[in-house]
Amino acid sequence: MIIEAKKSKGRIVVDWLTTTDHKKIGYLYLITAFMYFMIAGVMALLIRAQLAMPGLTIIETKEQYNQLFTMHGTIMLLMFATPLFAGFANVLMPLQIGAPDVAFPRLNAIAYWFYFFGSFIAVAGFFTPQGAAGFGWFAYAPLSSTTFSPGLGGDLWVFGLALSGFGTIMGGVNFITTIITMRAPGMTMFRMPIFTWNTLVTSILVIMCFPPLAAALFALGADRKFGAHIFDPANGGPMLWQHLFWFFGHPEVYILALPFFGIVSEIFPVFSRKPVFGYRTLVYATIAIAALSMTVWAHHMYVTGSVLLPFFAFTTMLIAVPTGVKIFNWIGTMWRGSVTFETPMLWSLGFLTTFIFGGLTGVILASPALDFHLSDSYFVVAHFHYVVFGTVVFAMFAGFYFWWPKMTGKMLNERLGKIHFWMLFVGFHVTFLIQHWLGVIGMPRRYATYLEGDGFTWMNQVSTAGAALLGLSMLPFLWNVWITHRNGVKVEMNDPWGYGRSLEWATGSPVPRHNFTSIPRIRSESPAFDLNHPEFASPEAKPVAPKKEKVKA
Amino acid sequence: MKTNTNIFILLTVFYLVVAVVYGYWSWLESPAEHKQIEVIGTAAIGMLVFLSGFIAFYLGKSAKNFTGPEDMPDANIEDGEAEVGFFAPWSWWPLMLGIGGALCFTSLAVGWWIFVIGFPLALIALIGFVFEHSRGLHAH
Repeated sequence: MIIEAKKSKGRIVVDWLTTTDHKKIGYLYLITAFMYFMIAGVMALLIRAQLAMPGLTIIETKEQYNQLFTMHGTIMLLMFATPLFAGFANVLMPLQIGAPDVAFPRLNAIAYWFYFFGSFIAVAGFFTPQGAAGFGWFAYAPLSSTTFSPGLGGDLWVFGLALSGFGTIMGGVNFITTIITMRAPGMTMFRMPIFTWNTLVTSILVIMCFPPLAAALFALGADRKFGAHIFDPANGGPMLWQHLFWFFGHPEVYILALPFFGIVSEIFPVFSRKPVFGYRTLVYATIAIAALSMTVWAHHMYVTGSVLLPFFAFTTMLIAVPTGVKIFNWIGTMWRGSVTFETPMLWSLGFLTTFIFGGLTGVILASPALDFHLSDSYFVVAHFHYVVFGTVVFAMFAGFYFWWPKMTGKMLNERLGKIHFWMLFVGFHVTFLIQHWLGVIGMPRRYATYLEGDGFTWMNQVSTAGAALLGLSMLPFLWNVWITHRNGVKVEMNDPWGYGRSLEWATGSPVPRHNFTSIPRIRSESPAFDLNHPEFASPEAKPVAPKKEKVKA
Repeated sequence: MKTNTNIFILLTVFYLVVAVVYGYWSWLESPAEHKQIEVIGTAAIGMLVFLSGFIAFYLGKSAKNFTGPEDMPDANIEDGEAEVGFFAPWSWWPLMLGIGGALCFTSLAVGWWIFVIGFPLALIALIGFVFEHSRGLHAH
């Protein structure tokens, strides 16, 4: 290990600002995304506080309430979850394929800065007199026109997201090129870790669905600022916007989901002491989900009454099949393994249980006959929080606890990690499970308050109490990060978990600049495991010439 | 290389089928007095056919000239090139280009006067970015 001379504070700042190192850029992504997660989380707590009782005015005006849920959605999806994918992919993907960096390190840095500034521009609406955008994160026309949503906040939202979207596209191109061209010798496509596969497939989704968003945003910007009439209701604008937006918006959900499926696919085998069950079916399922996800967009538009219901109901239900295959594979991986419950595994199990709920309600909503009743109710809110929170947040913390030693060289505290998990798990389910029933008895989305006589009160109170616990669960995590930073013991070994499988566990913790001093021979999808446990290595990885001689002697 | 190409060929064929089915089905279901296909979705999926076909074509073409040790199941690490490529150790230009781009985009939302500051900055940053490690034509 190279011991570096202590750097001055200014030097450190300059290092971070000018970095082209994929790991540092990855950390920048992760840190920024986590900041936005907490900001949008506070917004969510304000929303829940407002709904704790009928007729409250914790949030002064209804317009401010609109701004809060709009920015909560925008931030969580486009400034937290999407860049979180870029963060994990940046840190891990080059390590997992045995590359010294990504294919275009400077483009990678530009992608981050576009995301950073774009997000700031979009959120900066809060500093303008009329406040941020308040037309919902989907910005339906004609509500998003200047007639119904005047103010600078909306304009900043449009152009900020456009800039940030370009960053995401650049990131996607970079990941695809890296995976295609920079794999280590012997790392064939079907030996790549599932996380890397999912990064590839997610990046393909990014380049397929972010350009329509950029086009739609520029068109909306032209309408708002330059007097165009692209989304004018007089010429069918609302349908054009909804089609374009959801053509981006639905694959976006899978952009959020797939990399996090990848994270748990890395964790289950390590803590079950078994190779992943059905490696190839997992890969094919990922590709199938991605391909299908581009053809289901209009299931968000059933209630417009002018989409092809049977087509979209069919494709949407079809997508449950490869998703089911994945769940089957994860359970198959644990089946008869020696499962241990370290924090990363705990979070992955939390993901699995939560995500299954979200998937099941998704099938309910895919059926038009049911969707007409449930659309725009709290049932939908509960559904997508189960899906998105279930995958992104649970798998994010799984990834943090799992790769923290690889990123920082120190293990996070296990006990605090478990407290964190149980607080968040209970808090989450108390908040959102009850919202299914709230939706069924008819509470609509996006309403700033409700009446005493509606009968929504006690369910909202349960939900708000859960949200408070959910919010508090961040404290043990932050405390954990702090004490690990202060007092954590350096791990000083390549694979602190003992059963790591992919290549990142065959290099130092923390990882040196340009990643590897030496790379082990790659003969299966788990080269680090083959290296550390040759007696259990996969058959093709076994025969090593010098070893045979030793046996003879 | 072959696997990569196959993924994109698969996507091309799939989206071609979907575009045809969706276009035809939406035409069938449209009201009798006003028969038409659903243009927006059909066009969007049609463009996906083009996008994935384009990438498949490019990867297929380059696979003919190039199959490296990363695609051989029995390659050893030492079979790879010693020099993987050139990696910029650090660079100011991404940040500069980010600031320039951000000012340009802000100017679209706020006012043209920001563009006057942002555009030259973005232009300088772009030139700096492109020529940062350039030593002239064919000098590498």
